[in-house]
Amino acid sequence: MTGVAISRYVPADRDSYLVINLVLATVILLVFIYSGIFSPGKDNYPVVCIHEKVTGQPCISCGLSHSLSLMIRGRIAEARTWNANGPAIFIFFAAQLIMRILFSACRVKYPSTGKELIIYDISGSTVLFLVAFFPFLINIFSLSGIH
Amino acid sequence: MEDQINNTGQGSAGSSPGAGYTGSRTGQNLGIAALITAIVTFVFAVIPCVGLIAIIPGVIAIVLAVVGLSRASESGSRGVLIAGLVIAVVASIISFSQLFVAGKIIEKAKRGFGGDIENIIRDVQKDILQDLEDAKISIKVESNGDKVEIKADTGSRSRIEELEELERTDSLNSGTNVKK
Repeated sequence: MTGVAISRYVPADRDSYLVINLVLATVILLVFIYSGIFSPGKDNYPVVCIHEKVTGQPCISCGLSHSLSLMIRGRIAEARTWNANGPAIFIFFAAQLIMRILFSACRVKYPSTGKELIIYDISGSTVLFLVAFFPFLINIFSLSGIH
Repeated sequence: MEDQINNTGQGSAGSSPGAGYTGSRTGQNLGIAALITAIVTFVFAVIPCVGLIAIIPGVIAIVLAVVGLSRASESGSRGVLIAGLVIAVVASIISFSQLFVAGKIIEKAKRGFGGDIENIIRDVQKDILQDLEDAKISIKVESNGDKVEIKADTGSRSRIEELEELERTDSLNSGTNVKK
């Protein structure tokens, strides 16, 4: 009975991690496709800044779509002028895409790597997220009066 | 190994093992959906441009995680569901905090605008007081004939007159010099 349970459980658990990686990689790819399709020259972005609409003031993330589009096209200096945080966020998404592929490959190749792999993944992703989104987080905390 | 056996959800519910496994799988699938939605929500919630909308997927993720937890309550596999629920709640809080941030920005903008008006009023008041200080005011009151005369001169006219006189004298002097 337990033997059957173990044989059923292990692939299911491994699958869940792989499914999460696959879906997240797809989401990141969609972000890149979005940045690639819409060009800064035409300025045809469908997403408008809700923050600016509500407050009438430009926010810290305004120009991020332009910046990501320019980063995809390799125009880093221009990307920085549109949004100073754009390159860091682009690197975060690119690193996440690579991490999803590498960690999935690792999981498939070395099935014995269990919780360690997930812990490394969570730690690495958290550090990357905090570094890339630090200005946005500071902005939230400083304006909401927590900081 | 023991952990894995405990997490199977087999035979712990008292029902048939097949039913436990199906419940566990449903819970697990909901957990995966909740976790992915929560992670994506978390990333979007931090970006102010789209942070306000992120509350919608945040709520969806919470609902998915709660439903998943209720389905998987009989089994033991709840790690993904709890992770999804925690991330979704934090993401929703961050998304909701964007409202406060927006409110603060509006307040700041209003305060800035009001401050500008106040400064302008203060400057105008200062100018008026300065003019009044320079002004020559003469008041005449006659009691029998009931006459009240108030003459106010800002002094600027007299200064102009003084300048004109100076110019005249200058021109006269220069004329006499030329004659000499």
